[in-house]
Amino acid sequence: MHKLMRKLLGKLNIILTLTLAVVMAGGLGGATYVLASSTSNFTQTINAGALAVDIVTSAYVTVESPTMAMSAATLSFACQTKTGTFGAAEEMIYVTNPDVADNGWTVSMAAAATTAVWDSAGTDFDFNEAGSSGCVDDGVTTDADAFGGQMTVDPSAGTLAVGNCASCVTTNVTKGSSAPFVEGTTDTITILTGAAASDDIGDWKLTGVSISQKIPAEQPVASDYDINMVLSITAS
Amino acid sequence: MRILVIGLTILTSAVFASSVFAIEYGGFGGRPAYPRADNPRTESIFVHTLELGNVQEEGVLTVNNSAERKTMLVYAVDSTPSTGGAFACAQKSEVPSDVGAWITLEKGEVTLEPGTNELVPFTITVPKNASVGEHNGCIVMQEKKEKADGKSGVSLSFRTGLRVAITIPGELERKLELVGFTVTKKDDGSFLLHPLVKNLGNVSIDADAQVITRYFFGLTHITHGGQYPILRGDTSDWNFELKKPFWGGWYRSNFVVEYDENPEAGVGVKSGKTLTQLEGLSVWFWSFPTSAALAIEVVVLLLIAFGGFLFWLSQKRKRWIKENWVSYEIKAGEDIKSLAERFDVSWKLIARTNKLQPPYALKPGEKIKVPPTK
Repeated sequence: MHKLMRKLLGKLNIILTLTLAVVMAGGLGGATYVLASSTSNFTQTINAGALAVDIVTSAYVTVESPTMAMSAATLSFACQTKTGTFGAAEEMIYVTNPDVADNGWTVSMAAAATTAVWDSAGTDFDFNEAGSSGCVDDGVTTDADAFGGQMTVDPSAGTLAVGNCASCVTTNVTKGSSAPFVEGTTDTITILTGAAASDDIGDWKLTGVSISQKIPAEQPVASDYDINMVLSITAS
Repeated sequence: MRILVIGLTILTSAVFASSVFAIEYGGFGGRPAYPRADNPRTESIFVHTLELGNVQEEGVLTVNNSAERKTMLVYAVDSTPSTGGAFACAQKSEVPSDVGAWITLEKGEVTLEPGTNELVPFTITVPKNASVGEHNGCIVMQEKKEKADGKSGVSLSFRTGLRVAITIPGELERKLELVGFTVTKKDDGSFLLHPLVKNLGNVSIDADAQVITRYFFGLTHITHGGQYPILRGDTSDWNFELKKPFWGGWYRSNFVVEYDENPEAGVGVKSGKTLTQLEGLSVWFWSFPTSAALAIEVVVLLLIAFGGFLFWLSQKRKRWIKENWVSYEIKAGEDIKSLAERFDVSWKLIARTNKLQPPYALKPGEKIKVPPTK
């Protein structure tokens, strides 16, 4: 009996040694083991997420100074339309919903102020004039300034795709319709809408949103035109 | 020895298992600090039903999950309709007159280290002259950025807004109306399904908007849509993209909206009663098949045509046999094989025409049909 006990204990030692060897090899090799032990302390911190919209590179790194490239304009005696793209391949519009807007969200774009203009040291021009097809300030519409010019945003021309999330889908995420800014009427343009049934935890990227800007006739040559726009994401 | 081995095992497991993992996700923004168990919607937005003159204590948990220190402006604004009837928040530059004006934040700016958060308390004070129905505003978190000197072009700022939905009790009306539905073909052969629905009531409605696209014979091809909030007085529309159907042909799409019309329902609250369904007319459209589908369809059509031709041929032969074959009396010593040789026809055809069963034995004096002699 004593001999049998010693033999069994010897086998137990072999088993324990083998287990230890497997654990060591697995740990060093990066494998994940869960071991029940009264002394081990498993800690995993998942920080509170935030619904966010950003402009990122293809490597999902935030672009510090994103641009909205427009085709170059030259002085013209007629009203002209210049086009551009918002959300280039290396400046993607990137949306993340880390389970904080389960009932849907909206990404929209607006000027920092409805009374904003393409500001210059010289003569400004507008982004939300509705009169004369956006070319001339007609003084009739609710536009507060005296400048012509109108910007149109067409998200439906863009390409929507899933971001980093491997299991996510673009189902229930829709692109907004093409719309021009009109002061007092269309101050905010919808870029993307996530329905309640869209992925609760997900990320999406949008590229190629078409932008066009009516530039009034005889707009003076200048290289310092600028305007402040705001890209918002709202849990709804 | 055994104790040593067990000790080593415990030590190793402790070393490898006590690592601390931090999962970070998202940039900066916020979320409601006090979600209520009776309304899951309050995990994402602020929802309250408040009487005139009521004051509600609330809080927003500002979060910085980016890798950098962030200074955020926290402010309240009114809601504003975005194109398509989507919910959006007014700009900071716009003076609030509705819910944005009812909110008083304890602080307007927070600076957060990466991976940290801070609670910003605020109060909602409903004025005594507010109208019955739903009023919307936003708590907005926007990164504080100094404008770069001499920079031309579009300067972009980013912000996250959380809807604040305040309902003033009274006669609440929940009513939707279908406004239209169009199907537009795009250059790449795909289609844009564009339904529109208007909220005629005085509260927002979470509507289940679906566009169902069916094949010619009624089988469902695909369903687009989901649940969207439709704000009071707004017309909501969506662009659902229908990829070019593989098989092509005639398709029809129709727009269906389902919503809770009962006044007991609210933001994130269901009445539990029967839902109202609105269904629009179907829009028919033609889609040319894809190349692969076209090739398959041509092959199938050719096979059907060939099959039809064979069927027509067999029917023609049957008719000819019926009209021309004559009655013949079997003589002694004749069998089906000898008859087939004599009349220069397959024995199988004789058997089939006369419905003979194996072993196809023929008795003298029996009458069968045979081809006419030349």
